[in-house]
Amino acid sequence: MDIIFDIISVNTFWKILLFIHFTLAVALLGAITLQAVAVLVPAQQPAGNFIDHVRAVPPASYVPVVVALYVPQVIMGMWIYIKYRTYVRIPMEQTGHWSIVAAFDAKEHVVAIGMALLPAYWCFWRGHPVNPEYSSTRKWLTVLLAFVVWYSFINGHVANDFRGVGS
Amino acid sequence: MSEQALTTPRWTGKFETFAITFGIAFAILYTLCVSWNWPAFTYHPAVNKLDLGWHPGRSGEGPPMHWYGWLVVSAAGAFALSWIATMISRQWVQRATAFCCIVAVSWPIFFAMSVFIANRTSFDAEFLKSIWISAIPASAGAAAVSWFVPSQWVQRLWPGWLLIIPIGAFLLLGNSLKQLFLR
Repeated sequence: MDIIFDIISVNTFWKILLFIHFTLAVALLGAITLQAVAVLVPAQQPAGNFIDHVRAVPPASYVPVVVALYVPQVIMGMWIYIKYRTYVRIPMEQTGHWSIVAAFDAKEHVVAIGMALLPAYWCFWRGHPVNPEYSSTRKWLTVLLAFVVWYSFINGHVANDFRGVGS
Repeated sequence: MSEQALTTPRWTGKFETFAITFGIAFAILYTLCVSWNWPAFTYHPAVNKLDLGWHPGRSGEGPPMHWYGWLVVSAAGAFALSWIATMISRQWVQRATAFCCIVAVSWPIFFAMSVFIANRTSFDAEFLKSIWISAIPASAGAAAVSWFVPSQWVQRLWPGWLLIIPIGAFLLLGNSLKQLFLR
Protein backbone atom coordinates (compact mmCIF):
# COMPACT_ATOMS: atom_id res chain seq x y z
CA MET A 1 0.00 0.00 0.00
CA ASP A 2 2.88 2.37 0.83
CA ILE A 3 4.13 2.12 -2.77
CA ILE A 4 0.72 3.29 -4.01
CA PHE A 5 0.60 6.14 -1.49
CA ASP A 6 4.05 7.32 -2.73
CA ILE A 7 2.44 7.95 -6.11
CA ILE A 8 -1.04 9.17 -5.17
CA SER A 9 -2.51 10.64 -2.00
CA VAL A 10 -4.60 8.55 0.38
CA ASN A 11 -7.71 10.57 -0.50
CA THR A 12 -7.17 10.09 -4.24
CA PHE A 13 -6.72 6.34 -3.68
CA TRP A 14 -10.07 6.06 -1.90
CA LYS A 15 -11.74 8.24 -4.51
CA ILE A 16 -10.48 5.95 -7.27
CA LEU A 17 -11.87 2.93 -5.40
CA LEU A 18 -15.17 4.73 -4.92
CA PHE A 19 -15.29 5.56 -8.62
CA ILE A 20 -14.70 1.90 -9.55
CA HIS A 21 -17.43 0.95 -7.07
CA PHE A 22 -19.76 3.43 -8.77
CA THR A 23 -18.89 2.16 -12.27
CA LEU A 24 -19.56 -1.45 -11.27
CA ALA A 25 -22.81 -0.31 -9.65
CA VAL A 26 -24.02 1.34 -12.86
CA ALA A 27 -23.23 -1.80 -14.88
CA LEU A 28 -24.97 -4.02 -12.33
CA LEU A 29 -27.96 -1.71 -12.16
CA GLY A 30 -28.28 -1.83 -15.95
CA ALA A 31 -28.04 -5.61 -16.15
CA ILE A 32 -30.48 -6.40 -13.33
CA THR A 33 -32.98 -3.73 -14.45
CA LEU A 34 -33.02 -5.03 -18.02
CA GLN A 35 -33.45 -8.56 -16.73
CA ALA A 36 -36.28 -7.52 -14.41
CA VAL A 37 -38.03 -5.78 -17.33
CA ALA A 38 -37.55 -8.82 -19.58
CA VAL A 39 -38.93 -11.11 -16.91
CA LEU A 40 -41.88 -8.91 -15.86
CA VAL A 41 -43.06 -7.91 -19.34
CA PRO A 42 -41.61 -10.47 -21.74
CA ALA A 43 -42.05 -9.73 -25.44
CA GLN A 44 -44.13 -12.30 -27.27
CA GLN A 45 -42.07 -11.80 -30.43
CA PRO A 46 -39.00 -9.71 -31.40
CA ALA A 47 -40.20 -6.33 -32.61
CA GLY A 48 -39.18 -2.87 -33.75
CA ASN A 49 -38.29 -0.28 -31.15
CA PHE A 50 -35.60 -0.23 -28.44
CA ILE A 51 -37.97 -1.09 -25.57
CA ASP A 52 -39.32 -4.11 -27.45
CA HIS A 53 -35.77 -5.30 -28.13
CA VAL A 54 -34.93 -5.01 -24.41
CA ARG A 55 -38.01 -7.07 -23.53
CA ALA A 56 -37.09 -9.69 -26.15
CA VAL A 57 -33.62 -10.46 -24.72
CA PRO A 58 -33.67 -13.88 -23.01
CA PRO A 59 -33.57 -13.04 -19.26
CA ALA A 60 -31.24 -15.98 -18.55
CA SER A 61 -28.50 -14.31 -20.57
CA TYR A 62 -28.13 -11.59 -17.91
CA VAL A 63 -27.48 -14.04 -15.07
CA PRO A 64 -23.69 -14.55 -15.47
CA VAL A 65 -23.25 -10.77 -15.82
CA VAL A 66 -25.31 -10.03 -12.69
CA VAL A 67 -23.43 -12.61 -10.61
CA ALA A 68 -20.04 -11.55 -12.01
CA LEU A 69 -20.80 -7.92 -11.11
CA TYR A 70 -22.61 -8.43 -7.79
CA VAL A 71 -19.83 -10.41 -6.07
CA PRO A 72 -16.90 -8.04 -6.80
CA GLN A 73 -19.22 -5.12 -6.12
CA VAL A 74 -19.92 -6.45 -2.61
CA ILE A 75 -16.22 -7.10 -2.00
CA MET A 76 -15.43 -3.57 -3.18
CA GLY A 77 -18.18 -2.18 -0.96
CA MET A 78 -16.83 -4.10 2.05
CA TRP A 79 -13.43 -2.50 1.49
CA ILE A 80 -14.73 1.04 1.00
CA TYR A 81 -17.06 0.60 3.99
CA ILE A 82 -14.01 1.02 6.26
CA LYS A 83 -13.49 4.53 4.90
CA TYR A 84 -17.21 5.27 5.08
CA ARG A 85 -17.32 4.30 8.76
CA THR A 86 -14.48 6.62 9.77
CA TYR A 87 -14.54 9.42 7.21
CA VAL A 88 -18.20 9.79 6.17
CA ARG A 89 -20.44 8.41 8.90
CA ILE A 90 -18.89 10.35 11.79
CA PRO A 91 -19.52 13.77 10.15
CA MET A 92 -23.03 12.55 9.24
CA GLU A 93 -23.71 11.82 12.90
CA GLN A 94 -22.12 15.06 14.04
CA THR A 95 -24.31 17.09 11.69
CA GLY A 96 -27.44 15.10 12.61
CA HIS A 97 -28.12 13.43 9.25
CA TRP A 98 -29.62 10.43 11.03
CA SER A 99 -31.99 9.38 8.25
CA ILE A 100 -29.04 9.01 5.84
CA VAL A 101 -27.12 7.00 8.47
CA ALA A 102 -30.14 4.73 9.01
CA ALA A 103 -30.75 4.32 5.27
CA PHE A 104 -27.11 3.33 4.79
CA ASP A 105 -27.32 0.84 7.67
CA ALA A 106 -30.34 -0.67 5.92
CA LYS A 107 -28.24 -0.87 2.76
CA GLU A 108 -25.71 -3.09 4.58
CA HIS A 109 -28.49 -5.50 5.53
CA VAL A 110 -30.15 -5.49 2.11
CA VAL A 111 -26.86 -6.11 0.27
CA ALA A 112 -25.82 -8.93 2.63
CA ILE A 113 -29.12 -10.79 2.25
CA GLY A 114 -29.10 -10.13 -1.51
CA MET A 115 -25.66 -11.72 -1.74
CA ALA A 116 -26.95 -14.84 0.01
CA LEU A 117 -29.74 -15.12 -2.57
CA LEU A 118 -27.28 -15.28 -5.48
CA PRO A 119 -26.68 -19.08 -5.39
CA ALA A 120 -30.44 -19.70 -5.63
CA TYR A 121 -30.84 -17.00 -8.30
CA TRP A 122 -28.10 -18.62 -10.36
CA CYS A 123 -29.49 -22.09 -9.75
CA PHE A 124 -33.04 -21.14 -10.83
CA TRP A 125 -31.87 -19.60 -14.08
CA ARG A 126 -29.67 -22.57 -15.09
CA GLY A 127 -30.51 -25.11 -17.75
CA HIS A 128 -32.01 -24.97 -21.24
CA PRO A 129 -34.89 -24.62 -20.87
CA VAL A 130 -35.05 -23.37 -17.28
CA ASN A 131 -36.99 -25.51 -14.80
CA PRO A 132 -40.70 -24.51 -15.15
CA GLU A 133 -41.32 -25.63 -11.53
CA TYR A 134 -39.61 -22.45 -10.29
CA SER A 135 -40.96 -19.92 -12.83
CA SER A 136 -42.77 -17.75 -10.27
CA THR A 137 -39.98 -17.82 -7.66
CA ARG A 138 -37.42 -17.14 -10.39
CA LYS A 139 -39.33 -14.07 -11.59
CA TRP A 140 -39.89 -12.53 -8.16
CA LEU A 141 -36.37 -13.37 -6.97
CA THR A 142 -35.05 -11.41 -9.95
CA VAL A 143 -37.35 -8.49 -9.07
CA LEU A 144 -36.21 -8.68 -5.42
CA LEU A 145 -32.57 -8.55 -6.48
CA ALA A 146 -33.38 -5.58 -8.72
CA PHE A 147 -34.88 -3.85 -5.66
CA VAL A 148 -31.72 -4.67 -3.65
CA VAL A 149 -29.47 -3.18 -6.32
CA TRP A 150 -31.63 -0.07 -6.82
CA TYR A 151 -31.92 0.58 -3.08
CA SER A 152 -28.17 0.15 -2.62
CA PHE A 153 -27.35 2.35 -5.59
CA ILE A 154 -29.55 5.23 -4.43
CA ASN A 155 -28.24 5.11 -0.87
CA GLY A 156 -24.64 4.81 -2.00
CA HIS A 157 -25.20 7.82 -4.20
CA VAL A 158 -26.67 9.85 -1.31
CA ALA A 159 -23.69 8.93 0.92
CA ASN A 160 -21.31 9.88 -1.88
CA ASP A 161 -23.04 13.25 -2.25
CA PHE A 162 -22.54 13.84 1.45
CA ARG A 163 -18.80 13.17 1.35
CA GLY A 164 -17.33 11.39 -1.66
CA VAL A 165 -16.18 11.93 -5.23
CA GLY A 166 -17.06 15.43 -6.38
CA SER A 167 -18.78 16.44 -3.14
CA MET B 1 -40.32 -40.52 -11.67
CA SER B 2 -40.56 -37.50 -13.98
CA GLU B 3 -38.46 -37.16 -17.11
CA GLN B 4 -36.67 -34.21 -15.60
CA ALA B 5 -35.74 -36.17 -12.49
CA LEU B 6 -34.29 -38.89 -14.69
CA THR B 7 -32.18 -36.49 -16.73
CA THR B 8 -31.10 -34.11 -13.94
CA PRO B 9 -27.65 -34.97 -12.56
CA ARG B 10 -27.55 -35.84 -8.86
CA TRP B 11 -25.30 -32.87 -7.97
CA THR B 12 -27.82 -30.47 -9.54
CA GLY B 13 -30.52 -31.55 -7.09
CA LYS B 14 -28.08 -31.23 -4.21
CA PHE B 15 -26.95 -27.81 -5.33
CA GLU B 16 -30.58 -26.72 -5.60
CA THR B 17 -31.17 -27.84 -1.99
CA PHE B 18 -27.97 -26.12 -0.91
CA ALA B 19 -28.79 -22.84 -2.69
CA ILE B 20 -32.38 -22.59 -1.43
CA THR B 21 -31.44 -23.53 2.15
CA PHE B 22 -28.49 -21.13 2.13
CA GLY B 23 -30.61 -18.15 1.03
CA ILE B 24 -33.27 -18.83 3.67
CA ALA B 25 -30.88 -19.73 6.50
CA PHE B 26 -28.65 -16.73 5.87
CA ALA B 27 -31.57 -14.30 6.04
CA ILE B 28 -32.78 -15.79 9.35
CA LEU B 29 -29.32 -16.04 10.93
CA TYR B 30 -28.31 -12.57 9.77
CA THR B 31 -31.46 -11.05 11.27
CA LEU B 32 -30.77 -12.85 14.56
CA CYS B 33 -27.10 -11.78 14.56
CA VAL B 34 -28.02 -8.13 13.98
CA SER B 35 -30.96 -8.13 16.40
CA TRP B 36 -29.09 -9.82 19.24
CA ASN B 37 -25.68 -8.43 18.29
CA TRP B 38 -23.70 -11.61 17.72
CA PRO B 39 -20.66 -10.69 15.62
CA ALA B 40 -17.81 -13.22 15.34
CA PHE B 41 -15.45 -10.30 15.83
CA THR B 42 -15.38 -6.52 16.12
CA TYR B 43 -13.13 -4.50 13.87
CA HIS B 44 -11.75 -1.11 14.90
CA PRO B 45 -10.86 0.52 11.55
CA ALA B 46 -9.16 3.62 12.93
CA VAL B 47 -6.49 1.55 14.71
CA ASN B 48 -6.75 -1.58 12.51
CA LYS B 49 -7.49 -3.89 15.45
CA LEU B 50 -9.70 -6.97 15.81
CA ASP B 51 -11.47 -8.19 18.95
CA LEU B 52 -13.20 -11.55 19.16
CA GLY B 53 -16.97 -11.35 19.66
CA TRP B 54 -18.86 -8.16 20.37
CA HIS B 55 -16.79 -5.30 21.70
CA PRO B 56 -17.75 -1.68 22.38
CA GLY B 57 -15.70 1.17 20.97
CA ARG B 58 -12.74 2.19 23.11
CA SER B 59 -11.87 5.79 23.82
CA GLY B 60 -9.44 7.17 21.25
CA GLU B 61 -9.75 4.13 18.97
CA GLY B 62 -12.58 5.33 16.72
CA PRO B 63 -15.89 3.57 15.99
CA PRO B 64 -16.21 -0.23 16.16
CA MET B 65 -17.54 -2.20 13.15
CA HIS B 66 -19.66 -5.29 13.75
CA TRP B 67 -21.02 -5.86 10.24
CA TYR B 68 -18.13 -8.09 9.09
CA GLY B 69 -18.56 -10.17 12.23
CA TRP B 70 -22.29 -10.60 11.61
CA LEU B 71 -21.57 -11.68 8.03
CA VAL B 72 -19.08 -14.32 9.14
CA VAL B 73 -21.44 -15.86 11.72
CA SER B 74 -24.43 -15.86 9.34
CA ALA B 75 -22.48 -17.18 6.35
CA ALA B 76 -20.78 -19.94 8.38
CA GLY B 77 -24.06 -20.98 10.01
CA ALA B 78 -25.98 -20.90 6.72
CA PHE B 79 -23.21 -22.87 5.00
CA ALA B 80 -23.25 -25.55 7.70
CA LEU B 81 -27.06 -25.85 7.63
CA SER B 82 -27.14 -25.99 3.81
CA TRP B 83 -24.45 -28.65 3.76
CA ILE B 84 -26.43 -30.73 6.27
CA ALA B 85 -29.55 -30.19 4.12
CA THR B 86 -27.82 -31.83 1.15
CA MET B 87 -27.22 -34.96 3.28
CA ILE B 88 -30.85 -35.63 4.21
CA SER B 89 -33.91 -36.41 2.10
CA ARG B 90 -35.56 -33.54 0.20
CA GLN B 91 -38.87 -34.22 1.98
CA TRP B 92 -37.30 -33.74 5.42
CA VAL B 93 -35.48 -30.61 4.29
CA GLN B 94 -38.77 -29.15 3.07
CA ARG B 95 -40.55 -29.95 6.34
CA ALA B 96 -37.64 -28.62 8.45
CA THR B 97 -37.55 -25.47 6.30
CA ALA B 98 -41.30 -24.97 6.76
CA PHE B 99 -40.93 -25.38 10.54
CA CYS B 100 -38.01 -22.91 10.82
CA CYS B 101 -39.64 -20.36 8.51
CA ILE B 102 -43.00 -20.47 10.28
CA VAL B 103 -41.18 -19.97 13.61
CA ALA B 104 -39.19 -17.09 12.10
CA VAL B 105 -42.34 -15.41 10.77
CA SER B 106 -44.69 -16.07 13.70
CA TRP B 107 -42.26 -15.40 16.56
CA PRO B 108 -42.04 -11.62 16.00
CA ILE B 109 -45.82 -11.52 15.42
CA PHE B 110 -46.53 -13.34 18.71
CA PHE B 111 -43.99 -11.14 20.47
CA ALA B 112 -45.60 -7.94 19.16
CA MET B 113 -49.02 -9.26 20.22
CA SER B 114 -47.69 -10.19 23.70
CA VAL B 115 -46.21 -6.73 24.21
CA PHE B 116 -49.47 -5.15 23.02
CA ILE B 117 -51.50 -7.27 25.45
CA ALA B 118 -49.04 -6.66 28.33
CA ASN B 119 -49.35 -2.90 27.83
CA ARG B 120 -53.18 -3.01 27.82
CA THR B 121 -53.97 -5.32 30.72
CA SER B 122 -54.98 -3.95 34.14
CA PHE B 123 -53.07 -6.72 35.96
CA ASP B 124 -49.30 -7.30 35.96
CA ALA B 125 -48.47 -9.12 32.71
CA GLU B 126 -44.84 -8.06 32.37
CA PHE B 127 -43.80 -11.70 31.85
CA LEU B 128 -45.47 -11.50 28.43
CA LYS B 129 -42.76 -9.08 27.34
CA SER B 130 -40.17 -11.87 27.45
CA ILE B 131 -39.09 -12.84 23.94
CA TRP B 132 -38.91 -16.51 25.08
CA ILE B 133 -42.58 -16.65 26.11
CA SER B 134 -43.66 -15.85 22.55
CA ALA B 135 -41.32 -18.57 21.26
CA ILE B 136 -43.61 -21.22 22.81
CA PRO B 137 -46.77 -20.61 20.71
CA ALA B 138 -44.61 -19.88 17.64
CA SER B 139 -42.77 -23.21 17.91
CA ALA B 140 -45.91 -25.17 18.78
CA GLY B 141 -47.83 -23.66 15.87
CA ALA B 142 -44.94 -24.22 13.48
CA ALA B 143 -44.54 -27.84 14.59
CA ALA B 144 -48.25 -28.50 14.10
CA VAL B 145 -48.40 -26.83 10.69
CA SER B 146 -45.21 -28.35 9.31
CA TRP B 147 -46.17 -31.82 10.54
CA PHE B 148 -49.83 -31.96 9.50
CA VAL B 149 -49.82 -30.00 6.25
CA PRO B 150 -49.77 -32.33 3.19
CA SER B 151 -46.31 -32.82 1.71
CA GLN B 152 -47.41 -31.43 -1.69
CA TRP B 153 -48.11 -28.07 -0.02
CA VAL B 154 -44.80 -28.10 1.81
CA GLN B 155 -43.08 -28.93 -1.46
CA ARG B 156 -44.87 -26.19 -3.39
CA LEU B 157 -44.14 -23.57 -0.77
CA TRP B 158 -40.47 -24.54 -0.34
CA PRO B 159 -38.87 -22.18 -2.93
CA GLY B 160 -41.38 -19.48 -1.93
CA TRP B 161 -39.69 -19.15 1.49
CA LEU B 162 -36.77 -17.73 -0.44
CA LEU B 163 -38.90 -14.63 -1.05
CA ILE B 164 -40.96 -14.54 2.15
CA ILE B 165 -38.03 -14.78 4.58
CA PRO B 166 -35.73 -12.12 3.03
CA ILE B 167 -38.66 -9.68 2.67
CA GLY B 168 -39.60 -10.36 6.30
CA ALA B 169 -35.96 -9.82 7.29
CA PHE B 170 -35.90 -6.47 5.44
CA LEU B 171 -39.05 -5.39 7.30
CA LEU B 172 -37.74 -6.47 10.72
CA LEU B 173 -34.31 -4.94 10.20
CA GLY B 174 -35.89 -1.79 8.78
CA ASN B 175 -38.14 -1.57 11.82
CA SER B 176 -35.10 -1.88 14.09
CA LEU B 177 -33.67 1.22 12.39
CA LYS B 178 -36.88 3.22 12.88
CA GLN B 179 -35.55 5.11 15.89
CA LEU B 180 -32.42 6.11 14.00
CA PHE B 181 -34.53 7.21 11.01
CA LEU B 182 -36.77 9.37 13.20
CA ARG B 183 -34.07 10.73 15.50
